[in-house]
Amino acid sequence: MTAVQARPAGWVGQGVDRVDGPHKVTGTAPYSGDVTLPGMLHAMVVTATIAAGSVTKVDTSALLTLPGVRAVFTHENFPRLNAGPQVAFGEAPPAPLQDGRVAFHGQEVALVVADTIQQAAEAARLIEITYAPEAALLDPAHGVAEPLPYLPDTRRGDTEAGWALADVRVGAAYTTAENVNNPLGLMGAVAAWDGDHLDFHDSTQWPVNVRKTLAAMFGVPESGVRVHAPYLGGGFGAGLIPWPYKMLAAGAARALGRPVKLMLTRPQMFKLVGHRPDTEHQVRLAARHDGTLTAIEHRAVSLASLDKPALGLLTAATGQVYACPNVATVERTVRLNRRYPSAMRGPGEAEGNWAIETAMDELAYELGMDPLELRLRNISADRHPGSGLPWSSNALTECCEVGAEVFGWARRDPRPSATRDGHLLVGWGMATAFYGAYLPVSTARITVYADGTAAVRTAGTDIGTGTYTVLTQVAADLLGLSPRQIDLQLGDSDLPDAAQSGGSGLASSLSAALQDAAANLRGSLLGLAGPDSPLRGASPDEVTCRDGGLCRTADPSASTSFAQLLADGELTQLSAEGHTRLPDSAETGMHQAGGFGARFAEVAIDPMIGRLRVRRIVTVTDCGRVLNPKLARSQIIGGTVGGIGMALFEETVTDPDTGRVANGTFGDYLIASCADVPDIEVLFAGGPDRFSPAGTKGAGEIGLVGVPAAIGNAVFHATGRRLRALPITVDQLMM
Amino acid sequence: MRAFVYERPADVEQAVAAVAADPQAAFLAGGTTQLDLMKDGVWTPDRLVDITRLPLRGIMVEGQLMRVGALTTMEQLAAEPAVTERLLMVREALLAGASTQLRNMATIGGNLLQRTRCRYFRDPSVAACNRRSPDSGCAAVDNTARMHAILGVDERCVALHASDVAVPLVAVDAQALVAGPGGQQRHIPLTEFWVRADEGPSIEHVLTHGELVTAVDVPLLPAGWRSGYLKVRDRASYEFALCSAAVAVLMDGDLIADVRIALGGVGSVPWRARQAEQMLRGTHVDPVRFEQAGRATVAGAYTLPGTAFKVDLAVATLTRQLLAMTTEANS
Repeated sequence: MTAVQARPAGWVGQGVDRVDGPHKVTGTAPYSGDVTLPGMLHAMVVTATIAAGSVTKVDTSALLTLPGVRAVFTHENFPRLNAGPQVAFGEAPPAPLQDGRVAFHGQEVALVVADTIQQAAEAARLIEITYAPEAALLDPAHGVAEPLPYLPDTRRGDTEAGWALADVRVGAAYTTAENVNNPLGLMGAVAAWDGDHLDFHDSTQWPVNVRKTLAAMFGVPESGVRVHAPYLGGGFGAGLIPWPYKMLAAGAARALGRPVKLMLTRPQMFKLVGHRPDTEHQVRLAARHDGTLTAIEHRAVSLASLDKPALGLLTAATGQVYACPNVATVERTVRLNRRYPSAMRGPGEAEGNWAIETAMDELAYELGMDPLELRLRNISADRHPGSGLPWSSNALTECCEVGAEVFGWARRDPRPSATRDGHLLVGWGMATAFYGAYLPVSTARITVYADGTAAVRTAGTDIGTGTYTVLTQVAADLLGLSPRQIDLQLGDSDLPDAAQSGGSGLASSLSAALQDAAANLRGSLLGLAGPDSPLRGASPDEVTCRDGGLCRTADPSASTSFAQLLADGELTQLSAEGHTRLPDSAETGMHQAGGFGARFAEVAIDPMIGRLRVRRIVTVTDCGRVLNPKLARSQIIGGTVGGIGMALFEETVTDPDTGRVANGTFGDYLIASCADVPDIEVLFAGGPDRFSPAGTKGAGEIGLVGVPAAIGNAVFHATGRRLRALPITVDQLMM
Repeated sequence: MRAFVYERPADVEQAVAAVAADPQAAFLAGGTTQLDLMKDGVWTPDRLVDITRLPLRGIMVEGQLMRVGALTTMEQLAAEPAVTERLLMVREALLAGASTQLRNMATIGGNLLQRTRCRYFRDPSVAACNRRSPDSGCAAVDNTARMHAILGVDERCVALHASDVAVPLVAVDAQALVAGPGGQQRHIPLTEFWVRADEGPSIEHVLTHGELVTAVDVPLLPAGWRSGYLKVRDRASYEFALCSAAVAVLMDGDLIADVRIALGGVGSVPWRARQAEQMLRGTHVDPVRFEQAGRATVAGAYTLPGTAFKVDLAVATLTRQLLAMTTEANS
């Protein structure tokens, strides 16, 4: 069984090797931490050791006598900054070092700048800060629940009526732990000012937003701020927000009149660049004997910081998968003296899926029905269950059926604790997955040259997902060139504005922008055609780029090379820009779909010592058109590994009395090791999406979603023990 | 990073003299734990005496005894044929520890002297740590705790000794060879090498300042013995033990003629289970008795809400490993 995708006619759809691979494996890809400028100083952040209160005194005099130390910034001498701009999904937390207030343990309270990083680190270790502590709000039970910024409460039908007419009901509480993105690449920046001009080399998934934010906060023209982020050592969402370290680097550089490099340390990566917050869910499901859902109720809370609410989205997927007439969602965020939350792979929807898909498994057992069958009976395959409009694409049923066949689900003995392998208990579990559609607008520019090559430019980033490669493939097909003839540059805010590399939206957004740019380019090229050109009189829709020139689509022999067209126009190059043109939802009469998936997991558990190992995973995903099967597979594998980590290992522990991160190292915060990752069978289902201009729906987020519930449901099948709190650890599994 | 003097002595005598003369000096071997502690500001020696070029590397087997030079790396010891043939639990413990990269740097002497992984000990911003600063208290006891010890600890300190290989070494009564100032030499049985946290939270071992472990003498198991190491942890690799059991048995039919047991992941020192050995010696293979032996071992455990599960886990780990060693030994 293989992916149901059309055989590729061009470069799109082929498993092209990463075009950035050689740069990365030879160490020539420049990350922000690799940037060194003449006269550059090094900065080290100092973080608060109280959770609430204020800084009353920082003794800097002794530090300034240490060798190499150039400056110590505190709220008393750091440049005053404006508030950051309002940016949906990208608003900065309050500017750092503007007052002495401390809102969480680990917050930036000082910055040491020295000639070398070693000198800065030693001074940061020796700094003595006096605080006036106040009572910290650390217990979620004492926090105030607030509505979320991006997701209202939703209601369709009448859940109480649905509850009343059901035959079977389940209801339980589910939790997920705080997880932290922790990309391998430490995040940081190098800032260099020249008057009001700022060159800023950064670890960001969104250079344009960093440009906007820094310009506004420093009160300088946006046109003079240039953010470079050609490569990022992973992000998983940690690079979406203009975090305060950026303002610290830029502010110190401005005050000192020299370039400043600021790299966060690994422990600081646990505190200063966001995380997936702790969440708690109350779910009630009701169904008829035949499995028909009659009510879904989902109440969820995510923990947040005092100054930044959680992203939420815990309930965003809840009403979108199953054809249940009665759905109610209520979602809140609770503000505490805790670190800033943000987005982490599959944000919100991964946590919500854990609750809903575990509850679905519980419902299946209450009904005495196969868990897969319960899903298949309720999937709203043709129409969106809320809007009633036809989906732009939805292969969820196919995902389930393909996955079940490959996994061998039909051989499953449904009884818990019934499948054994020696002294091991074996369990099979499954879950569906959904990740909401996100297709932001970006711009891109294509330039063709007389030698038949083309330059493609956009400010969007490749955070390791393969943007360089897939956009090269898309451009090659649009321009009729080979990938080697395309020079693609990304990650520079002076290039045409692009959306964030987040929400699984960028490849779709930029592919559509390139389609538009290519259409504009064809129009401009036609305008150059001389009186004798066989293209004379053709419209942009009637011509195609092929073999370094333009030809009539209906008659490829009627062609003119780019070189000739440029010569006809007395030009040496020609550029065209384009932007993401989205169909109007109402006009198309369809509901824009996100990604769908089905996850199947096998676990083996030694019940005596509580040892759990995931033995195999089959994961089937409908992410629309697959631009590059090799890279898409990598995305799904990465998401699956993240899902294993979320299910079994990952948990940032916060000391309840101090708010301190108790396990902020890779030795103490566990992620899945290679030995924890079993054979993963990655399959794709469905075809091009009808709403997305490129047919794509994104593969970055969806791979993680559903994996924790599939594993948790396998644990129930193996042991008969229903575990509702992630991560599932040895102590929960001992029998 | 704090500045320090670095020196490379010519021989053991010089090395010992250099450290003994300076209270702020420390030996440097593989550095895999020590440099982390220095970078984190937990350990701030003024002088590092690098012993890595001294002739303390290598393994010698003579009859029933294996002498392991203190600078022998974990990987070297794991690859030693005598270990595979006659001390399999040592090989299994070594390979269950750290990562290949670390095992190629980390030395056996350093492994024995590794310091606790307690998250409160390792963060100097935490003031209360009786191990780091005597009489300052113990922040670990008041907070969410999972990785800490339950044996040989009390409310003053719950620091775990996290070594894997030390567990089987304690089980076979290995001894440390120690060189001291003035050319003094002494043997210290590993069962007496470490100081339990409940007997002095700030004292980790019996070495005096300047004493250097030069080798470890490890008795090989006689013919007919079988041994193995079981390590229980959340993930499959690169994690310290929640609980581990080193078990060596000599079977006579289904009778346990002799047995040696030590537990890891539960004690402030690698935990020899002598009472369990006595309970099992001369008995038949019996899971119920195995469990009783486990219960006796953890009797009197000091637990926190986060570590309470380790009591049952220790019993289960020992039982599972006794079953594996005694039943497979029959076949």
